[in-house]
Amino acid sequence: MDEMLRLEHVSYRYHDGIPALADVSLSVTEGQRFAVIGSNGSGKSTLLHIMDGLLEPDRGAVYFRGRRVSESSLKDGDFLRYFRGRVGYVFQDPDVQLFCPTVLDELLFGPLQLGLPEDEALARADEVIDMLGLTQLRDRPPFMLSGGEKKRVALGSVLTMNPELLLLDEPANGLDPRTQTFLLELVFALSEAGKTIVLATHDLSLVSELHCEVAVLSEEHGIERVGPADEVLEDEELLLRVNLVHQHRHHHGEMVHSHTHSHYLFHRHNR
Amino acid sequence: MRDSIPSFLLEPNRALPPREKIGPVRLGTIDRALEALARVTATGHAQWYSARRNGLLQSLDARVKLLFLASFVVIVSVRHQPLPQVAIALSICVMAALSRLDLRRFYLRVGLLTLFFGLIPALPAALNVIVPGDVALPLVTLEQGHRLWLYEIPRVVGVTREGTLTVLLLSLRVMNSVGLAMLVLHTTPLSEALRAMKLLRVPDTVILIISLSYNYILVFAGFVEAMYLARKSRLVGTPRGAEARVWAAGRMALLFKKTRSRCEEIYKAMQGRGFMGNVRLPGPVRLQTRDWAAAAMMVLAGLFFLWL
Repeated sequence: MDEMLRLEHVSYRYHDGIPALADVSLSVTEGQRFAVIGSNGSGKSTLLHIMDGLLEPDRGAVYFRGRRVSESSLKDGDFLRYFRGRVGYVFQDPDVQLFCPTVLDELLFGPLQLGLPEDEALARADEVIDMLGLTQLRDRPPFMLSGGEKKRVALGSVLTMNPELLLLDEPANGLDPRTQTFLLELVFALSEAGKTIVLATHDLSLVSELHCEVAVLSEEHGIERVGPADEVLEDEELLLRVNLVHQHRHHHGEMVHSHTHSHYLFHRHNR
Repeated sequence: MRDSIPSFLLEPNRALPPREKIGPVRLGTIDRALEALARVTATGHAQWYSARRNGLLQSLDARVKLLFLASFVVIVSVRHQPLPQVAIALSICVMAALSRLDLRRFYLRVGLLTLFFGLIPALPAALNVIVPGDVALPLVTLEQGHRLWLYEIPRVVGVTREGTLTVLLLSLRVMNSVGLAMLVLHTTPLSEALRAMKLLRVPDTVILIISLSYNYILVFAGFVEAMYLARKSRLVGTPRGAEARVWAAGRMALLFKKTRSRCEEIYKAMQGRGFMGNVRLPGPVRLQTRDWAAAAMMVLAGLFFLWL
């Protein structure tokens, strides 16, 4: 499989002071499911911003299909259209992403900016509305949607652009179990359809379900480890070190003992 | 963890003795303002539901309604006789009823706006000091007439018949203009009204800016409401003016900061979906037969009111 995205020694600081990423290098191949996991503030969202060319790293480089993604390369209109048409980013906060008057307008926005004819954009929007169960919400303004509905619309607004690479920032955050299951099934379906998926999350059960390649970000904003989910999620010491599991204390009468605990590690089903 | 919990948290909750008599809780000015701002969200919802009802005007294309509004506002302003104004007022009432609008709420809004922008500013014209005429209701009788700058103050100052008709006619015209605008506003979803603005050659970028502004005013109104409720949940009694002002100033600063960072995030989201400086929005849909029929009827009605 071809390499789709490559980051080389990427570092970034906010406002020239607050560190967000420190010397991050990783590679994502075509068709891969890839998860970036880390605690709050480890730099997951910043990493996705940089992958999508929305932030320029202070040091290092980002390459999409061998071509450098930078502020200057994105000034080339042809490359910008090429890149935006192939990389879709679903933000963690759907309120940021939903800025059009209605749900249908949201789904039409991306394809129209890419220059697709209106009837083709409308046909795509109708299909995505159907797939995501948004038919009843088609003419509704985004501010009238529930959290789960907003997430689905946010995802749909990116899917109508038919990206090759999907960047999902905390996709299951704040969703009820049914919507989470729906999302997971959708991610699998998109992956089987050939899409490359990169998601940022601290939800270990989601990562386990996806059977993906995992990059672990530490609280020092660097990559601790990259490997298959099965192996990474078995490494309790690593997960404790990067604050993805916690130390749990038990009282047994007078005695107190502690052990690592996470709902993923201790409540998973046997395969 | 249990060892580090403060002891008062481990004891049952006892009612605190009041520092001073609290008295009845009244809403301060800032609280009232915040409540009103929070209701903005409810207004947005109400407007959408009203525009989605199965009524006469809701089924028409926004472009037809916008042209109707523009042309009838012109007719209202050029007709200076009471009969056509009354006929237009009655037509507005009938259309509002057929569009299933809440007439009481509709006329409350229209009435308030007419009062402040029509009747009250026009009232001085009812006096013979401003518009000379036969006094129908004397108010003040002076020993003799006076001249004050441009105005001739007669011996008997009062309300004239001509002045009263002038005030009523002006108020009626304002009421009709406001009524027409409210009618279209309450029967047209904002998204369709914005799309119809393309008919007036308004650039897509301006339409998007208006849409974004409306959307995020409502989003931030929701945030203000949440802040207000969070404060309310921990308040006992009415906070003093200075305390409330300090709180409001702090929240305004936070809201300003949030809107700034939110602006940057939204811009990134737009870039992420292909925005490259010039925006392209979907065009309007084709007009249906009923839209053409409604447009024809509106033209005929307009000609009738011009003739009346």
